[in-house]
Amino acid sequence: MVDIEKIEKRTVQSFYDDGLFEIALGFIFLVFGGYIFGQTIVPEGSPLNAVFSVLFVLVIVSSGFLVNRILRFLKRRITYPRTGYVAYKKRELSPKRRLAAGIVGGVIAALFTLLAIAPSVKALLPALNGLLGAFAVLLFANKVGLIRFYILSAASAVIGIAVTAAGVGDSKGISLYWGLFGAALIVSGLATLVAYLRKSPRADRENADAV
Amino acid sequence: MPSDLRGLADIDRLIHEPARLALVAILSVVESADFLYLQRETGLTKGNLSSHLAKLEEAGYIAIEKTYRGRVPLTLVRLTDAGAAAYRAYRARFKKFLEKTG
Repeated sequence: MVDIEKIEKRTVQSFYDDGLFEIALGFIFLVFGGYIFGQTIVPEGSPLNAVFSVLFVLVIVSSGFLVNRILRFLKRRITYPRTGYVAYKKRELSPKRRLAAGIVGGVIAALFTLLAIAPSVKALLPALNGLLGAFAVLLFANKVGLIRFYILSAASAVIGIAVTAAGVGDSKGISLYWGLFGAALIVSGLATLVAYLRKSPRADRENADAV
Repeated sequence: MPSDLRGLADIDRLIHEPARLALVAILSVVESADFLYLQRETGLTKGNLSSHLAKLEEAGYIAIEKTYRGRVPLTLVRLTDAGAAAYRAYRARFKKFLEKTG
């Protein structure tokens, strides 16, 4: 008997077969880590510090935009000629889910603000980043059902806790966490990409198309 | 005929065929997919895939668009609204049948 749910899940999973998503996401996290590190070395109250604060939204939006473009380009060059073209449905969040996401985001932001102004717990921020990252990746891993994302979830928690234990400091620790987790994503993505390229030779498109 | 079996008899046979069911299940979660993707995911031969797609197209369940990406021919397949409704109905009926028969 055909297992419909397995087929549907496999179709969603196929998006991640080439590892390009992790490489792209890892790149964003590296940029984010670099940005936070940049902020820590600029003297407080200096004009450069103000520029850094203004640049925050720009860095996130532009890196997201850039990564999306690069991901599409790489999919066109690497994935589609090998395993075919597929366009996924764009899922619109329902108003209820948007509200829930907003509330969760607000609670996390409030929690971080509280922690950031309490000096005794400032040092725990990298671990907290790691645990929150681990939770988010775990939810994603559950949805997608790929083992490597469970491993990345554990890696996020381990990196966050290790950085806190190493006593790197709050801001530098956070930047180190994002940098290391970004690097972990890129390594995972590259390993997946190598396996994918070995397994999926380029198809002869002239003959691959029919109907 | 017992009511349990009547439920099975009402099932859409065009979709119930395993290869076509796999195709429709794949297309139900994507916007569109090309011939190569469908062939890779289902493991069907070109001839078989073409034949099943033709049957689904004839029933109005899928739409096939022949296009080009650069100079490379590209056959894009997508589930139509009728196809999506038929798939939903198939899933509901089959689930009901399985629940009744245990």
